[in-house]
Amino acid sequence: MTKYVAKRILMSVLTLLLITFVLFVLIRIMPGNPFPVERMTADMILQKRAELGLDKPILEQFVNYMSMLLSGSFGNGTSLYNGAPIKPIMLKCLETSFRIGVLSILFGTAVGLTIGITAALNRGKFLDGLCTVVSILGVCIPSYVFMIFLQYFLSYKIPLFPYFFDPSQFLNSSIMPSLSLSLFSISAVARFTRNEMIEVMNSDYVKLAEAKGLYGFELMRRHVLRNALIPVVTVIAPLVVDLLTGAMVIEKIYGINGVGSLMVNAIAGDGVDYNYVLALGIVFSALYIGVMLVLDILYGIIDPRISLAKEAG
Amino acid sequence: MYTPKDDDFDFLTDRDLSVDENFAAQGYWKGVAVHFVRNRLAVAGALIVCLVIVFAVLAPIVSPYSYDEIVSIQTTDGRQVIAKNLEPQLGAPAQVDDASANFADKTFVFGTDELGRDLWTRTWQGARVSLIIAFVAIFIDMVIGTSYGLVSGYFGGRVDNVMQRFIEIESSVPTLVIISILAIFMEKGIGLVIASLLLTEWIGMSKIARAECLKLKEREYVLASRTLGAGSFHIIFKQILPNTIGPIITQVMFSIPVAIFTEAFLSFVGVGIVLPQCSLGSLIEAGFNNITVLPYQILPPITVLALLMLGFNLVGDGFREALAPKLEDM
Amino acid sequence: MKKIFSLLMICALFLITGCGGGSDNAAGKLSVMLGSNVVSLDSAKCTDPASFEVIADCIDGLIQLDADGKPIPAIAESFDVSADGKTYTFHLRDAKWSNGDPVTADDFVFAWRRHCQESDKYAYIMGNTVACVKNADAVTKGDDPTTLGVSAPDPKTFVVELDAPVSFFPSLMAFPTFYPINEKFFNGLDAGTYGTSPETFLSNGAFVLSDYLPGAANIQLKKNDGYWNAANVKLDEWQYQVVSSSDNALTAFKNGTLNVVDIGGSQIESVKSDTALVKDLQNIPSGSLYFISFNQDPKNHHAGALSNVNLRLAISNAIDRESLAANFVANGAKATYTAIPIHFAPNAKTGKYFAENQQQFAEYVGFNVDKARDYLNKAKAELGKDSFELEFIYANDSGNTVVKVAQAIKSQVEENLPGVVLNLQPMPKAEYLDRLTSDSFDLAINSWVPDYDDPMTFFTLWTTSGSEICEHWSNAAYDKIIADCTTGDLAADYDARWQAMYEAEKILLENAVIAPLYTGANATLIGSNVSGIEFHVAGVNRIFKSVTVK
Repeated sequence: MTKYVAKRILMSVLTLLLITFVLFVLIRIMPGNPFPVERMTADMILQKRAELGLDKPILEQFVNYMSMLLSGSFGNGTSLYNGAPIKPIMLKCLETSFRIGVLSILFGTAVGLTIGITAALNRGKFLDGLCTVVSILGVCIPSYVFMIFLQYFLSYKIPLFPYFFDPSQFLNSSIMPSLSLSLFSISAVARFTRNEMIEVMNSDYVKLAEAKGLYGFELMRRHVLRNALIPVVTVIAPLVVDLLTGAMVIEKIYGINGVGSLMVNAIAGDGVDYNYVLALGIVFSALYIGVMLVLDILYGIIDPRISLAKEAG
Repeated sequence: MYTPKDDDFDFLTDRDLSVDENFAAQGYWKGVAVHFVRNRLAVAGALIVCLVIVFAVLAPIVSPYSYDEIVSIQTTDGRQVIAKNLEPQLGAPAQVDDASANFADKTFVFGTDELGRDLWTRTWQGARVSLIIAFVAIFIDMVIGTSYGLVSGYFGGRVDNVMQRFIEIESSVPTLVIISILAIFMEKGIGLVIASLLLTEWIGMSKIARAECLKLKEREYVLASRTLGAGSFHIIFKQILPNTIGPIITQVMFSIPVAIFTEAFLSFVGVGIVLPQCSLGSLIEAGFNNITVLPYQILPPITVLALLMLGFNLVGDGFREALAPKLEDM
Repeated sequence: MKKIFSLLMICALFLITGCGGGSDNAAGKLSVMLGSNVVSLDSAKCTDPASFEVIADCIDGLIQLDADGKPIPAIAESFDVSADGKTYTFHLRDAKWSNGDPVTADDFVFAWRRHCQESDKYAYIMGNTVACVKNADAVTKGDDPTTLGVSAPDPKTFVVELDAPVSFFPSLMAFPTFYPINEKFFNGLDAGTYGTSPETFLSNGAFVLSDYLPGAANIQLKKNDGYWNAANVKLDEWQYQVVSSSDNALTAFKNGTLNVVDIGGSQIESVKSDTALVKDLQNIPSGSLYFISFNQDPKNHHAGALSNVNLRLAISNAIDRESLAANFVANGAKATYTAIPIHFAPNAKTGKYFAENQQQFAEYVGFNVDKARDYLNKAKAELGKDSFELEFIYANDSGNTVVKVAQAIKSQVEENLPGVVLNLQPMPKAEYLDRLTSDSFDLAINSWVPDYDDPMTFFTLWTTSGSEICEHWSNAAYDKIIADCTTGDLAADYDARWQAMYEAEKILLENAVIAPLYTGANATLIGSNVSGIEFHVAGVNRIFKSVTVK
């Protein structure tokens, strides 16, 4: 087990390195200049490119970038926010997005599991139908439309929450965005939980356990949930990354200074800020790889039938 | 040799016993069809989907306006008046106010949008575009994603490792970056949207398939097949695949709206379908800009989308249960 | 499972403890909507109106503009001009930076030199098409910055030498790129961190930042007690909120969350039918010109059809600008038939706007379907082609309005000009600018916001050596007029220069280098308790120094 984990971590680091290179190359072939070009003459553009070292061979640029990364810096922006160091700005945005993301994952998983389990236990009855409709509606309504509804009713009609995001009252102003963000995960988790539960409840080993006299909560906990949750975890994991890395439209509507809008500003501003896109890309990948690593290890814990040792061999 | 006769045995009571009936052997797909048709909800779902498809195909053809036509008239003093932002109306509306007086005789079932185009036509035209995008993208995703995930999960070890690292690399490149780069090589429009959906959407599908495969490959029937000498290909696609159909269909149901909204997001950043073409996603996006002052503009596309999703989900559930009839025994 | 739950609990705890207390907006606090993020608070780096506005709230330049746009003293108590109009001597008052340092002439010298070296998009404004500061163009190209024509003989005297007399030089000083930066403070910061937080930014103006982050949706400001004119600043605390959707802005205004918001077409209609709200609605001209750029590069991928003047004229005459402005922009924008927007650049002597007479070039720009078709037939004959499929690009993120306008133009042109097809190509702004500079488009919806109150801010866009976003057009006569008016013989002669600019405009429009569309405007809702906001069409658009909130 330890050997497997160590090996997986090493692999992940190598993957991250590879990803950095791929991103580095891809971003350099993106359309758009790394600086705003209105009112600049062709000479000035060339001069600016040389200043940023963009005229050097790409491998040399990459080596320079990597040595900067290894010294713990993400460098300075090329056009966004007048070339300030990226790290403090990115960390601040990440923190905000993280908090809202975590809150919405909590919402999403808790509500989703509850709905899913309720539906599975009441299969074919009215409650089941209700849960199905709720989860279908959840996917159909885009989170930003739901956000506008919440904003309209819960802070315009009934002034419960601040109309725009206010960092000084964090929890209070995070509730509406995380609720709307969790809409999709509620639906996804609920649907998958329900279906998996039904499948598992129907399997021979659960019937056997039932026949042996196990029932109620104990049966659920020891046999049903444990097996039903594997694919559910698979669904939640990428959602976690999605939610942590921000939601551009909601951030825009609610005025949240998060990584989603940072990314969009970096790509779709007056110029493409190569360094921001790269830094954010690397952080997102690291997150993604980390979550997948944890997920793989979790598989082994949740489902003893998957033997990690064998896989590693 | 004694031949048994009917009256050799008597019922102890007058109880009416049901007698086992014998069925002729059914083909697999016929069984599926029978199961499916018996499921009322599934049939209702299929009806809804068909209805939406019929409207999406016919409504833009039958409608007096084309989807990109700006409805306008010239007033007597030569000014151009545009039928913009009209609420839904059928022929002559009850109260005629100044803005819409000129169009009192016209029918706009869903009203008109900010440019004076008929929302009825645009909604169904949009449904058409969205259906095409969703179907093509999701179908290919399902094929690629499922095969990828099953192969990766089944073989495990080094193969799995390499395949999973590839996924990590692929999904690490931000969608916006992928799309901007694709846009250099491809003409903007539906093709580009489908291509970018292909590059991003199959990963979720493969994750599900892989997780299912990891769970199933240790099962007894797989072991039995292997012992009997079945090849890996046979085991993956004949033994494991049919048993993963449940979660995969569920995933497909989620991929459809995601595909539709991804398309809307792409139009939003300027790389989606080319205006004045429209899709359900872009109509929702447009209605969203005026949601509190002109709520009727966002209602039709959202309702059509919700109906479509409801239909697809019911059909999906029906299929799942018909394909894996064991669920029905509960 | 237990482990996961305990992990989740820890996360929840972290969230709850992470939130602090806070209060709702106190009644009477000014909250102003910004349509887009502030890009940078470094006056040498910023390029967008939102940044200019916030910088101007915090920093005073030599001169400021009064409510009518007339230059009045700011940091410079007074100034002298030499007889030839080429040397300005500014006498500075005793003003202080918010860290207590005095504002000196050296702060201006430092900022101006740095600006020439560092600025990208706005480097041109010091140079010989605008301010004509001596050696500015050479310094921009990499010359020794000490050769720039600015000097500080003593801490309270700032001298600028120009290459040519510039009639609007004093009012130009109100533009943020001419503002000072405290040299000692700047050099004490890590590279690139200037203006990225309240701690790394100094004010000498009416307000100081109390909360700001790059890209922040919310910016808090408070009164600068050390401001030289602090007695006349009424606001104690106020804030900016970035709002991107007009619908959202309207609800926030009704809600009382914001007191100053800009709204779009559909929201205006709804406000107009609401008697309680309509009295708060104001139409503010913005001075921005929206126009179509034609790519005349004969090498472009459509075989240079647009290098034919008749095709360009045909398209320009097939657009119903009145309908465009009234129906699709619908925020008070005015149809425009000149290369200079309406409500902009009043003549210093007569007080009439430069583009007051919209019929002046009616011969070339107008809406006349028959004429447009005649031009089209001529173009078809000359080019030997019967149909033209043209690529029409625009930046998608410039807002909902441009999207509507593009679709309306497509519909009008295709209806009025049989055989012409416009393929709409929306794209992100970075890509759009890239396409403009690399000449890979046919038509583009372009807009320009004036930097200073003189028509030259537009005319220099279209010279041969002007900006790279220009449309591959070169005309010696036009270039000569512009050169004469900026640095040549006409620079000192106000009336002759004014007349010459009309000549230049005629060349521009008879060649249909651009097709002007409309002059932008803002439909602004201002809370009835707010008064004293000063609006300007050029440079810094809104000034909040003398605002009072009841």
